[in-house]
Amino acid sequence: MILSMLIFLPIAFSPVVYLVTRFSKKIGILLSVFLSFFILLLSAYVFTGVYLNPPQPNNYSYAERFSWISYGPVTVDYFVGADGLSSPLVLLSALLTLLVVLGSRELIEKSEPEYYSLLFVFEGAIMGVFLSLDLVFFYIFWELVLIPMFFFIGLWGGSRKKYAAMKFIIFTFVGSTVMLLGFLYVYLVSPVHSFDIPDLAGQVPGGLQLIPLILTFLGFGVKLPVFPFHTWLPDAHVEAPSPISVLLAGVLLKMGGYGFLRISLGLFPQASSQYAVYFIVLAVFSMFYAAFVAMLQKDLKRMVAYTSINHMGFVMLGAFAAAASGSVLGIGGALLQMFTHGLAIGSLFMLTGYIQHQAGTREISLLRGLRNLMPRTAILLVLGSWAAMALPPFASFLAEFMVIAAAVAAYSWSAISVLVPVITAGYFLWMVKRTVLSKAEVSEIHDMSLLDMLSFLLYLAPLVIVLVFSFLITDPLTPVAQFLMGLR
Amino acid sequence: MMDLLTLTVLLLSGISLTLPLLQLTKFKIVSAYILASVLALSLFLIVIYGLNPVQNQLSPSLLASDTLGSFFAAIAIGVTLFVTLASIDYIRTPNTAIYYSLLGFTALGMLLLSFSKDLLMLFVSWELMSFPTYVLAGIDKKRRSNEAAVKYGIIGAMSSAIILYAISIAYGIAGSTQISDVVRALSARHDIIVAVSILLFVAGFGFKMSIVPFHMWIPDAYEGAPATVSTLFAAATKKSGFVAAIRVLLAMTTVYAVTNNTFFTVSNILAVLALLTMTLGNVAALTQRSITRLLAYSSIAQAGYILVGFVPFAVSPLSYDAQIGLTGSLFHILNHAVMKGSAFLVAAAVLLKLRRADLDSYNGLAKRMPIASFTLAISLFALAGIPPLNGFWSKLYIFLSVASGPYLWLAIAGVLNSAFSLGYYAWIVKRMYLDEPEKPDRVDEPLSFVIIFAVLTALIIGIGIFPQVFINFITGAVNSFI
Repeated sequence: MILSMLIFLPIAFSPVVYLVTRFSKKIGILLSVFLSFFILLLSAYVFTGVYLNPPQPNNYSYAERFSWISYGPVTVDYFVGADGLSSPLVLLSALLTLLVVLGSRELIEKSEPEYYSLLFVFEGAIMGVFLSLDLVFFYIFWELVLIPMFFFIGLWGGSRKKYAAMKFIIFTFVGSTVMLLGFLYVYLVSPVHSFDIPDLAGQVPGGLQLIPLILTFLGFGVKLPVFPFHTWLPDAHVEAPSPISVLLAGVLLKMGGYGFLRISLGLFPQASSQYAVYFIVLAVFSMFYAAFVAMLQKDLKRMVAYTSINHMGFVMLGAFAAAASGSVLGIGGALLQMFTHGLAIGSLFMLTGYIQHQAGTREISLLRGLRNLMPRTAILLVLGSWAAMALPPFASFLAEFMVIAAAVAAYSWSAISVLVPVITAGYFLWMVKRTVLSKAEVSEIHDMSLLDMLSFLLYLAPLVIVLVFSFLITDPLTPVAQFLMGLR
Repeated sequence: MMDLLTLTVLLLSGISLTLPLLQLTKFKIVSAYILASVLALSLFLIVIYGLNPVQNQLSPSLLASDTLGSFFAAIAIGVTLFVTLASIDYIRTPNTAIYYSLLGFTALGMLLLSFSKDLLMLFVSWELMSFPTYVLAGIDKKRRSNEAAVKYGIIGAMSSAIILYAISIAYGIAGSTQISDVVRALSARHDIIVAVSILLFVAGFGFKMSIVPFHMWIPDAYEGAPATVSTLFAAATKKSGFVAAIRVLLAMTTVYAVTNNTFFTVSNILAVLALLTMTLGNVAALTQRSITRLLAYSSIAQAGYILVGFVPFAVSPLSYDAQIGLTGSLFHILNHAVMKGSAFLVAAAVLLKLRRADLDSYNGLAKRMPIASFTLAISLFALAGIPPLNGFWSKLYIFLSVASGPYLWLAIAGVLNSAFSLGYYAWIVKRMYLDEPEKPDRVDEPLSFVIIFAVLTALIIGIGIFPQVFINFITGAVNSFI
């Protein structure tokens, strides 16, 4: 019951939020904060439950199953469940939604009723993606995520919002319909004739795995995004309002990484392992490409957006390095990278929103002397950059270390990916030097409030906690990772 | 005790014959309400009949008593009901009672056609359905409307002639007009004359089904006719082409492969037609400047998807894939009637209020007509196949039926087409919600339309969330045919 509540409670409350916010903005936002906090508590409950009692391999905690369509030759079940792979992502989504609600208070200034109600549709849909164990429902929630995001970018975006919204929806829709074709193919060729992910695990004949692997890769690759399907992302991020960028980078991109781990590795293990080298090459190339392009950006937000592509490349690298070498480190690293990237990049995107709001620009060359002008923002920018550079004490360090270790175990030449964090550190330090450490040219710019500054603790504190207590995430993941590796 | 099918036929024919009498009185508009209530009653009766079909007493040799017939009849009557309700505000003609009587006759024709199991009965009800629509297309008596009516009339007459020719060949071979006899007789022979007869049937029905290359008249007719009548064409009479094709053509494929040639088989012909139809429909829709033409081309594309579901049946009628495909096609026919009916009726409401049909008039419509915009957005997303709306499930079934086996390329083409189609559907949503209106005033939306929109939107979402009920009924229809 609790997982269905995670999915449908936000969706059911979204009209309520709409009506209340229409009536009074203050009460509406208060209601949104409470609702998202309640969802966060529920996800924390699920996370703790999964941590204390990790389900057996290929089993799921809190599973619920109803037959949805059973008449005729096609059966589709509503089937949800949580395990060590999905529960951290559920927790991350709930946490980021709360942070986005808190951040939107300041940064969203029009059509609030529609905004907050769509936010909860989005939250419910994303929970559905991470919790669904039936491919059809997985696809339904996958597509449901698109519609609120289309309106977020198109209605609350910047000057080229329409272009960005259309580009976003067309890219992702084409990718996901092709992914659906892969699901249909799996249904037909597997002897079990089922859409259930646990039933299908290990059931797709080895020789027939390559076609669905490629078809679903298009869906996941566009979402992740990986070169050459990434071009929608910088546009979407630059045009989207900052709180939405947080969701886009922190949650929506995770759908792609989750798809690689759950479906590519779980349903097509032999093909993933056999052809892993192509995916690893693509991932490494994508990381380098995004890192170099990020270096050239003039707009702070665009730079963070490319960093996002660069970081998500690690997720793909970790997943396929694990498939190639059989090392569970890759899976752990990929999941940790998703978790830490959501928080680190999320904090940076939110900061760009505040910077735009306070300074009126995001151009790196125009932002000078933040150290003196907005000390609070500057401190957070430096800390967020550390997290993005994968410096300890932030858990991004551990994630990238694990991924690279797994990649080296798979193919020693992929040690070259060690250079990516170096490049990332390079351009982040350069950015910090130009913005924070330079001399101010103007004198009066107001800084963010202390309360807003403290809310950023919610982004950064978990990163430190996860580095120290990394077993919180890796322990429940171990049975899942071992099961996935056993399928190869 | 009369069976429900007979009762419905008598009810509809009685009311259609007597409605014109109201033309002589002052209460012409009452005819709309009478027709609407009779159609609602008929819809109810025909669904009840379909749940438990008994031998009809009207003419057991001419009319089948099966769920397949009642499925199509229910769609036809349901769409006519919505068209009738929408016409109350929309249609301004001195011949009000005549208009509604003609709508009634069309519904009767579609009803009889759905159940026909004899070629002559099929032809007669085909004409009963078509003739009133020629008049309806021109009921506005405007230049555009008249042109559409004449064009549609000529094409319609041609397709009728083609069907009649095909029937005469079939009769010449079989010595009977019963569809089952014809199928048996044709299957015994393997010569060119049989192929000619089948191709003539394909062409004749293809005009109504809007299959490429028989689609040229569709955009002109849909654009010229009053928008409510276009709704009837797109959502109802087109479906009658499909029921005729299922009864005649698919029955033939069960026993006969056109020639012994391995390339020129019925399944290959259907697959190629399906590919051409959906691709051409989608590509052409992308470049349209008027909403009715865009919806017309989208309707052609959707016919292509429906045809895809017939392909596995033509390959091997008793396989699982055939059952999935036919279920998907029938389900998509139902969904298409709802989605396209909804989209066309929004176009009608906009035409009524803004007097424009070009796409620019949809800029910022969400601020001017929020209910109509929401309805259109939902129906367009459903047409694009975005879950959990109804169009998703039927497309899922259709593509599932061809995703394994020799026609995987057709599934890929269909999925890509479906993704491609979002390009123009989302474009309209973008215009309505993201663009600024030319005039920011709020336009009031007629109550009758608001009610229709609410019902249709509820259907789109309801079928999407609870597809099981409808699939049960459709599986019954499919089994009654197989």
